[in-house]
This record gives sequence, C-alpha cells and structure tokens, in this order.
Amino acid sequence: MAHQLPELFAAPLRSVLERLPPPVGASLEEIRIRENRPLEIGYAGGFGFVRPDGSITSDPRTAYVPGREDCRALLERLTNHSIYAAEEELRRGFVTINGGHRVGLAGRVVLERGAVAHLRNVSGFNVRIARARIGCAAAVLPGLLDLRARTIRHTLILSPPQQGKTTLLRDLVRSISSGDWRAPAAADWKGRKVGVVDERSEIAACDDGVPTFDLGPRCDVLDGCPKAEGIMMLIRSMSPEVIAVDEIGRKEDAEALMEALHAGVRVLATAHAAGLDDLFARPVLSGLAASGVFGAFVLLSRVGSQVVHRIVPAEQALREMKSRPLPVIRSPAGQEARSS
Amino acid sequence: MMQLAGALLVMFAGTMIGYLQSVRFAARPRQIRQLLHALQRLETEIQYGQTPLPQALARLAAIVPAPVSGLFGSISSELAKQPGSTVRDSWERAMREGWTLTAMKQPERDAMIRLGATLGASGREDQIKHVRLTMHQLQAEESAAREEQLKYEKMCRSLGMLGAALVVILML
Repeated sequence: MAHQLPELFAAPLRSVLERLPPPVGASLEEIRIRENRPLEIGYAGGFGFVRPDGSITSDPRTAYVPGREDCRALLERLTNHSIYAAEEELRRGFVTINGGHRVGLAGRVVLERGAVAHLRNVSGFNVRIARARIGCAAAVLPGLLDLRARTIRHTLILSPPQQGKTTLLRDLVRSISSGDWRAPAAADWKGRKVGVVDERSEIAACDDGVPTFDLGPRCDVLDGCPKAEGIMMLIRSMSPEVIAVDEIGRKEDAEALMEALHAGVRVLATAHAAGLDDLFARPVLSGLAASGVFGAFVLLSRVGSQVVHRIVPAEQALREMKSRPLPVIRSPAGQEARSS
Repeated sequence: MMQLAGALLVMFAGTMIGYLQSVRFAARPRQIRQLLHALQRLETEIQYGQTPLPQALARLAAIVPAPVSGLFGSISSELAKQPGSTVRDSWERAMREGWTLTAMKQPERDAMIRLGATLGASGREDQIKHVRLTMHQLQAEESAAREEQLKYEKMCRSLGMLGAALVVILML
C-alpha cells in the first residue's frame, strides 16, 4: 500500500483497504469509490471488487459498499476540509493530493452560463496511485537520441489512459536531467537542463514547490501551471534545453509547443491516443504531427502488468498515414466502417 | 473575637460571589463580540484568501484573546493531526468542551454548532451566507447580553454584599 494513502480514508473504508492482501496492495493502481455501489480496485492491469474483510472477489454483490458518510469524509480530506478553496479543482474534475496521486471526481455538474462552474454531490472517486518506476525509461531513451545535436529528438508519447505515460515521462525527465542516457553513443554526454510544466502536479508531485519524485539534479518544475503559459514562461526565464509536458491536446498547447519547437528547445510531451490512427484523427494533434515537427513517437500499451513500447520515427509514421488515405471510424463491436 | 472573624469571612465570601457573577455578566457580551470578530475574519479568509479551513482556524485562534481562541485552536489542531476527522465532529466536540471555559450561554453555542455542520462543505458563496447568518444570530444574542449586563451586573454585586450582610446580622 502506498504510504500516505490510507490517511485519505475515514475509519470504515480505511480498515477495508488496509486489509488488502500484500501482493494486491503492492501492485495497486486505482481505488474506485462510488457511493452506495461496490468498492472496486484496479491492480496489476486487472480489476476486482473488495469484500469487507479485504479479500478480492469478482462478484460485486458480496463487495463492501461505501456509504454517504464514507464519501463525505473522503471529499473533506481531499479538499483539506475546504470545498470553497478547491472550486477550481472541482471544476476541472480532479484533485491531486500529496504524493502525486490524482483523484478523479464525478458527481452532479453545476453550470453557470453554459460552462461548468463546479461539481456538487460528488459521489464517484477514482484514486489513481502514482508510482515512480526508476529505470523504466532505460529501454526507450536510446531510441530517442539525436546523435548529431547531442540531445533528444522532439518526442510525443502516445497511449490510452492508464498505460504508464506519466510514469515513463517522469523517468525520461530524470534520466535526461541526470545524464543517465543508457546508450554507448551518449556515454560522455552530460545531463541536460529540463523544464517541466506540471499542470496537474502529477509528474513531480510537488510539495510546497519542491518535487517529491526524483527528477534528477537539473530539473525545474512549474507546478500547477497551465501548459501553454508555462511553456512560454520556462523558455523566457529558465533557459531549458528540454521541456516536458503532460497530456497536450488543446489548441493553445499546440501553439505554445510550436513556439518552443522553434526556440531551440527539445520537447517531450504525452497525449491520449490509442495509436497513430487516433493521433492523426485528433484535430489539434494531427496538425502538429503532420507538420513534421516531432522526431519520434512512442506508443505504449500494456499486456497484463507489463508495459510494452514501440518507437516510431516521424518519417515512418507519416508514411504509414499516407498509405491509408481515409480516416477509419471504429464501431464499438470492433468492425471497421469507412467514413464517406 | 471569633464572631467578628466569622462575620468578616462571610462578608468577604458573599461579596466575592456577587462580584464574580457580575464579571460573568460583563464578560458574555465581550466574548460574543470577540466571536463576531473571529467570524468576520473567517469570512475574509474564505472569500478572498481561500485559505484551507485548518489554517484559517489557526489564524482565528491567534487574533482573539484567551477563552475564545481555545475553541478555534483545538479544532484546527485536531483537523491537522487526526486523519479521518471531519469538521462537523471536531467542531461540535470543541464547542461542547470549550464552552464551559467561556462566559457565553447556550443560544450562542447552538448557533456556532449549526455553523460547524456546514463549514467547509460547500462553495464559497454558500459558505459566506452561512457565516453571515451565524453573525446575525450572534449579534442578536450580543444585544440581549448587553441588556442583561445593564440590568444584572450592578445588582449582582450589591446583592452579594447585601446577602452576606443579612447572614451576618442573622448570625449575630
């Protein structure tokens, strides 16, 4: 079990989670708490429901059912007893707590002039447990090196949610800033200055501005900063050689990235996409990818608890895309239908 | 000789009882006023500072004088130290336990406990409304307490002395 986590939960729920079998606790990825519905956890790439005695079952009917008080106390702890101070987080739908764990929230949305104002009656929580896997970038990094410029190529890491994008990004940042290149050609390279724009406080998990994850010695973190502004701030003030950002996808992000790409800074970014098809189907990302600025794409997928990666150089990705002229729309059943 | 000493003691005790009662009558409106100041500060902390409740309460404890500050201080430290504690429970416990140290009475306490049940549990504007409502109730109690002070403060003092004098006369 991750150390600080049980403090988040009030008595009945905490005692259930503390009794999880140790191997499950060690590979825990998600804890899903839904009011008056069975308690679910995700671990080792799979999921299960938790009985009141802490054992795992696939039958939701015998599982522990968190009640209104459990949820109320959890929300109170998450917002440090002050929902009024967390309105921005409630509007975005997630809270990041000490240790970089992100807690997603679902409930009744309150609208104000058509825009999401905040959430009330929060009844669904998804506690995603952040883990540092030191060394998980060792296999990826040598494939991203730009030997001529003695640094890395502009890289976009792609995967669906929960496949380890942020974990990989975190270790890439650590490797680059500490000069742990893991490649014979780069044996005499030093660490590079890395600037991290950590909008959701997940990469560095800053506590009062100081990263709690190991990001290497030459790393500066802008904590809680919107990506587009953060990228510009870093370029102007911190003279980074590499900029790392998580989950790009909005138009402003793309513009700021273009700015960084042409400012002599190498960019390391992640985005949600199941593969190259998705990448070229997403409006903002496809523009970025098609303009040829990224030097490499890393595709992540998981088989059980193993993360497998595939590095695709940009030229190959563009070639693959051109050989498939029409975008493909998949139906839920998995059949493919051509769009007209 | 012994009679005189006894009479003096009775006089002293009676006067002190009356005096202490009158002090309580004077302290109640003053402490309600301090509570009002604290709530006003809390309103600012919520509205402009968006300070998390444990820190906000610790600041309140620092700006008001002794018996009233203890109420806020104990809630703040309990929230910060004990995992799984909720504002509602800590608040109610602190009010029930700490109230006997103050000169304030039940109506003020009930108003404060009602505030504790909603504090921290909703958005900013809603919180401000609850704090203001409690302040209105406390203001009403404050003016009632002032009236009582005018009526009973002096009376208690003289009643204590006169009562003691009556006992002495009956004894002699």
